[in-house]
Amino acid sequence: MGRVKLAILAAFSVACANGAAAQQQVIGAPPEASNMKLVGTNDLQARSAYQPTIHHQGDRWIAYIGHHGGTDDIPTPVNPMTGKAEPNGTSIVDVTDPAQPKYLRHIPGQEGKYEAGGAQMVRICDGKALPKGDRNAVYMLRTFGSEAHEIWNVADPANPVLITRLAGLKDTHKNWWECETGIAFLVSGAPDWRTRRMSQVYDLSDPAHPVKIRDFGLPGQEPGSTGAVPTELHGPISTGPEGNRVYFGYGTNKGGFLQIVDRDKLINGPKEPTPENLRLPEISRMPMSAFNGAHTTFPMKGMPIAEFAKDKDGKNRDIVMIVDEAILNECAEPRQMVWFADVTVENRPMMISSYTVPEASGSFCERGGRFGSHSSNESMAPVYYKKMAFIAFFNAGVRALDIRDPYHPTEVGHFIPSITAATDKRCVTIDGKDRCKVAIQTNNVETDERGYIYIVDRANTGLHILELAGPARTVAGLP
Amino acid sequence: MAGRPLIAFAAAICTLLGFAAFQNARSDVEGWREIAWPFSRDGWPTGRAFKCAAALCGDEIELYLRPKAGFCNCDTGVADDEEVDRVTDIDLITERFAPHEPGNAVRVAGMAGRLRTYDLAMPDGARRAAVGIAVSRRCDLFVAVAQGHGNGSHVRHVALDFLGSTGMEKWMIASMDGAPH
Repeated sequence: MGRVKLAILAAFSVACANGAAAQQQVIGAPPEASNMKLVGTNDLQARSAYQPTIHHQGDRWIAYIGHHGGTDDIPTPVNPMTGKAEPNGTSIVDVTDPAQPKYLRHIPGQEGKYEAGGAQMVRICDGKALPKGDRNAVYMLRTFGSEAHEIWNVADPANPVLITRLAGLKDTHKNWWECETGIAFLVSGAPDWRTRRMSQVYDLSDPAHPVKIRDFGLPGQEPGSTGAVPTELHGPISTGPEGNRVYFGYGTNKGGFLQIVDRDKLINGPKEPTPENLRLPEISRMPMSAFNGAHTTFPMKGMPIAEFAKDKDGKNRDIVMIVDEAILNECAEPRQMVWFADVTVENRPMMISSYTVPEASGSFCERGGRFGSHSSNESMAPVYYKKMAFIAFFNAGVRALDIRDPYHPTEVGHFIPSITAATDKRCVTIDGKDRCKVAIQTNNVETDERGYIYIVDRANTGLHILELAGPARTVAGLP
Repeated sequence: MAGRPLIAFAAAICTLLGFAAFQNARSDVEGWREIAWPFSRDGWPTGRAFKCAAALCGDEIELYLRPKAGFCNCDTGVADDEEVDRVTDIDLITERFAPHEPGNAVRVAGMAGRLRTYDLAMPDGARRAAVGIAVSRRCDLFVAVAQGHGNGSHVRHVALDFLGSTGMEKWMIASMDGAPH
């Protein structure tokens, strides 16, 4: 056999066995960045992280970060502050000085690995904002794995106190809590419903005494129904009594749709879960392709569109940004990405644009782990609202979008953190065997009123606090 | 960049080898023949469909099966009957189905899950019987639905017999590993 043939055979073997190793991350390499720079980090005790919520608490800024369950290798990581192995739960980090984040407390969550454990979700309301809250309290609403929602008083974030527990569920997910009214749209799995995730509407204006308002879902999901079961809920976002709309996102990475709901009819309408009562508050639905889900449905009402400025009508548009979630490693599914819907005419919503990271810009299908979108910042603070959106894109890090013209969203920056020794592997099965790679898995992102951007990693790399740089700051109007 | 054509070539060869393995895993059960996947494209790649004539199966039975990657709770697997209602492809046949009875635990191709029989109301007014089967491995599902004109227990028996054949078990396992179908 000639040398050329041997070389081809060797290359073929490597390609079959390992796939391309192009641009795979290595420990010690610098982060990849454009117009975004690192301010500070915290390893979050090497726990898989999901939802960060940043709260201005007195003169401090506190990050509350929900975690997925542990991993096969480390089901219950040791908390160095207690010396004990604790199931992943909620990390509380003082980020007043973003360059020097200070880890304050870990509250353990439900035992269980990956999505089966932890305490993924977290929302915060000040007691003084809630109609019947203790004015000295700060309340943290969190999920407890799949089985409960909990409310803690975190006025002293280093010493949280459990206030309330709503248990007996078969699943939980991304809640929404209106601080000005106390109305909460909890994503739950009520035991008698035919879906893992639907909505339970509660009055949590007095967190110590929750009052259930109703169960809500799609006809076909309610107890006692038969036939096809509609796609499960992922999460709602409410515009409160003033906006009187709740935007529900159904589906995660398949068959998703946006549902626009009249909030007043939802809260005050007939509550018995009959098909007629479930249809009553619905204004419209916008189905997506079977290839995509609606993980996050982020409303931005009344956006002025520069291109339409001289039009006699329609110069301001109501926009909903819809973010899908990629769930499979190494591009084993249709691309999950970001979509913009014009919902100005509510009963005829229409998709107007989309955004994805170009795969070839980083050989992301070959890096390992998931590639695709997962979630966006949900802060409506003026610093970025209706101007910029930040999208967690798994192995492509966080992407900063200029959305001032939502008909033509444009990427203006990105940041892909470096991996560390804590970064967990991600595997695919080939010929019955696992083939694993290590890559950043930026899982979620949030912003604070100061303009800092907080990203967290699903693969245990921790928290990275970022700021915009260069032209991206101009988009946001930052100096 | 010179490596890209070689990688593409290698990937193509890998795909062909995988497809050859899949071809060898075709059904070896008498009476069944493969038919075209009868449903429109949806969120998952199309699966395989088979038909068994009434003369050989006691009823004309069609069976549709495919993997659904990443559609399962990684720890609990197929937990209850409502999950069978949700995840099997029975809604592709008709959205109007009602469970005939509580489901049962089942094991297919070494994977654990549940099955449930249903009464179907077809768009033309006809009534059919069906069995929905959902089994899982880690975070992935394998689903099968069989329908016939007779009673549900017969459809279930015939479908499980077919799925338990050596060729189908091999294919199911290969398809869960990402083999083409």
